Amino acid sequence: MDALNNIFVNIAAYIRGLFADSHSLSADLAINIIVFIMLFLIMVVAALFLSLVERKFAHWVSQRSGPNRLGPHGWFQFIADAVKMLGKEDIYPANVDLFLFKIAPMMLVGITLMAYGVIPFGKGMVAINLDLGIFYFLAVSSISTLALLMAGWASNNKFSLLGGFRAVAQMISYEIPLLFSLLGVIMITQTFNLSSIVEAQKTIPFIFLQPLAFLIYLIAGIAETNRAPFDQVQGEQEIVAGPFTEYSGLRWGLFMLAEYGNVVATSAIAVSMFLGGWYGPGFLPGWLWFILKIWLVIFIMMWVRWTFVRMRVDHLMHFAWKILLPLSLANIFLTGLGIYIYQLFIPRIGG
Amino acid sequence: MLNKILRARVSELADKVNGQVEESLGVLELTINYPYVLEVLTRVKNFADVPCDFLHDLAGMDLEDHFEVVYQLSSLRGPQRLRIIATIERENPVIDSATPLWKGADFLEREAFDMFGIQFRGHPNLKRIYMWDDFEGHPMRKDYVIESHEQRAVMRIRKEGE
Amino acid sequence: MMIDGTQEYSVNMGPQHPSTHGVFRMVVHLDGEVVTNVEPKIGYLHRGLEKMAESRTYNQFIPYTDRLDYLAGPHNSLGYVQAVEKLMGIEVPERAEYLRVIFAELGRVASHLFMIASGSLDICGWTPWSYCTRDRERILDLFEMTAGNRMTLNYFRIGGVSHDVPDEFIPALKSFLDDMPEMIEEYYGIFFGNEIAQSRMKSVGILPKELAENLLITGANLRASGVQYDVRKAEPYGIYDRFDFNVPVLYGCDTYDRHFIRLLEIQESRKILQQALRDIPEGPVMAKVPKVVKPPAGKVYHRVENPKGEMGWYIVSNGTTKPARVRIRTGAFVNVQMLPAIVTGWKIQDLVTIFASMDLVLGEVDK
Repeated sequence: MDALNNIFVNIAAYIRGLFADSHSLSADLAINIIVFIMLFLIMVVAALFLSLVERKFAHWVSQRSGPNRLGPHGWFQFIADAVKMLGKEDIYPANVDLFLFKIAPMMLVGITLMAYGVIPFGKGMVAINLDLGIFYFLAVSSISTLALLMAGWASNNKFSLLGGFRAVAQMISYEIPLLFSLLGVIMITQTFNLSSIVEAQKTIPFIFLQPLAFLIYLIAGIAETNRAPFDQVQGEQEIVAGPFTEYSGLRWGLFMLAEYGNVVATSAIAVSMFLGGWYGPGFLPGWLWFILKIWLVIFIMMWVRWTFVRMRVDHLMHFAWKILLPLSLANIFLTGLGIYIYQLFIPRIGG
Repeated sequence: MLNKILRARVSELADKVNGQVEESLGVLELTINYPYVLEVLTRVKNFADVPCDFLHDLAGMDLEDHFEVVYQLSSLRGPQRLRIIATIERENPVIDSATPLWKGADFLEREAFDMFGIQFRGHPNLKRIYMWDDFEGHPMRKDYVIESHEQRAVMRIRKEGE
Repeated sequence: MMIDGTQEYSVNMGPQHPSTHGVFRMVVHLDGEVVTNVEPKIGYLHRGLEKMAESRTYNQFIPYTDRLDYLAGPHNSLGYVQAVEKLMGIEVPERAEYLRVIFAELGRVASHLFMIASGSLDICGWTPWSYCTRDRERILDLFEMTAGNRMTLNYFRIGGVSHDVPDEFIPALKSFLDDMPEMIEEYYGIFFGNEIAQSRMKSVGILPKELAENLLITGANLRASGVQYDVRKAEPYGIYDRFDFNVPVLYGCDTYDRHFIRLLEIQESRKILQQALRDIPEGPVMAKVPKVVKPPAGKVYHRVENPKGEMGWYIVSNGTTKPARVRIRTGAFVNVQMLPAIVTGWKIQDLVTIFASMDLVLGEVDK
């Protein structure tokens, strides 16, 4: 079990061992390139697979038949989708701002991929073990607003522009409760390092200490990833597809890739911060526990998406500023109070 | 009972505006000339006891030598029904609009204008409703010649600045 | 050029747009996200049915009537054939009358289900949409086993219906009616009772009673504005006077009530269907009608309560085999006018909801 647990760490160590000096520049470069490719593959495969799972799930929830033609029960559908998307003609409308139009989807995917760098998939299985990991994640993920606005502006379409503006309004508003909900955990652990935060949950996952924060994080996270009931940015029924209206083929596919990549990243952070990361009963390796927990969070997100209807733009803002924000502030206050009381009895905590 | 009151009211009105009262399949029918239409509709809408205050339908009709505008009136609060037929000259099809009485007559009149070319005086926005704006002719008129397929299949080229 | 202050802009929604339920087009003037004015533009589905009727015999026109409100085909044909029968003075056999009521009411249930479905879809409720269409499918199956067609039945004839229903029809209909209360509970649970859906629909797009009457709104939209008026009660056509049912009325005048009243009407239709199933006699389904339908010269105005609003058929006969004029007054066409009247000041998202609550079907709007 221990070998299985550390399989990826051992592989990395073996690759390093191939070089004369295992900490030379070339060894680091090789490892980093491999890790980068791995992360990219994780994101692409997860996104492609999620697009299928989402449809399967939707069809299960709403009692209709989903993709059921390709492969056993349609489970190969995502391959066909990917091939179809790759084979499409690259269309861009006249009068678009071509540079921004082309760069926006790439930028969104790049940003999403950057966020993967700090996710601890298992013990020692993190691409960059940043001490400011969670801070880096928040900083990186807020740039994606810009990419959406760029797409909306560059498309030269009023629906797109409306979508872009909605994206800015919504994502900036929900970033604040998202950040504040994470502060509670950080106050307890006294660190920004995601691996250390996971290790602090060895005995008890923080969801039991911070249930309110988890709820706020989940809601704000759904809003950050622009999924129903907070999918104003796409708002299919009113603004067609928001910033993505004019996109087609692979560029549109990149947007979808980024969306699902974001879903996975947000769930991964939720798992690391609240659900105890890679810790779990010993009969499964840690990284598998991590993946299973991610799936659990994604399952909840999908469940919400296919049950609720979309909120209105102004209700959405009210919800962020008048409900989530005060609640997250209250959570910080309560956490502080809890820590203070705890310290009265046990002088030193945390690590 | 109500029918009797309505009949009395309608024949009284018919005398005043020089109209004819008929009955077809249980519905009273008042035929008038077009200048009286607004007066008649206003009176009919405000009949005591039996107000026909709901304009059910407004339709144009081409009778080759003249046009008719047919108003189907009823009420949401009673069984009274009345049909008013206003005859219009074919050469100069102008009639008063019913929009001051019922805002909802708007679309119905636009349709009659579109299909028969009947001009409604006082209509706020008398434009074609089904056909495109530069369509020529009024398709529901009996003398409208349906164009041949060859003609119809010609694509319309968009004009500059459209 | 510099522009000071804010500026209104106009967006062209439709005829190709996800939520215009067909080829409806509206030019929306927006101030940010707030709608300042809407100009409905219709005619993209105009087929000139009234003109077509003049060059077809009375029987030949029946299939076209199904294409008016294609979501509730039977009720359109019902209006037409009854108008012609009134003109000719034809007595329809009892069984045919009952079958007509059954089909018309099934059409109403199907139409209302689809209205709730698309209404929920317009606020991104995919699951309620799916539930409603799932159950509507059973009605379409009933149609299919009888008429061979799922939406445009072409089942009614002048003087009756074209043929009797198959043997498996009645049991299938009974089981559908038995399942209905459960379905309605499900729709309530996932859509009408949902807090987000309620906040999206309640007190949005108020259509006051006086305005509704002045705009000549009919059908369920009028009843949701507090006017208890239904042609089936006020002026019973066919055998509707034999059934015991209520006319639901709501006083909220808002989008939620316009959706909710459809749910109530489905329940009333269920009552009618149950009574019709109880009372339906055996016998012929077609009266003795001459091969060549040639009504005497005259005019008739016949109106029916179509799911989308009142439908009026004004048929003028000149004594030949072809009508001199067939005028179709469709509910949805007149109901379009409520959109610009009530939408000002609401957000573009509400515009979509309000539009859905009007329950337009473009086949009926454009004729």
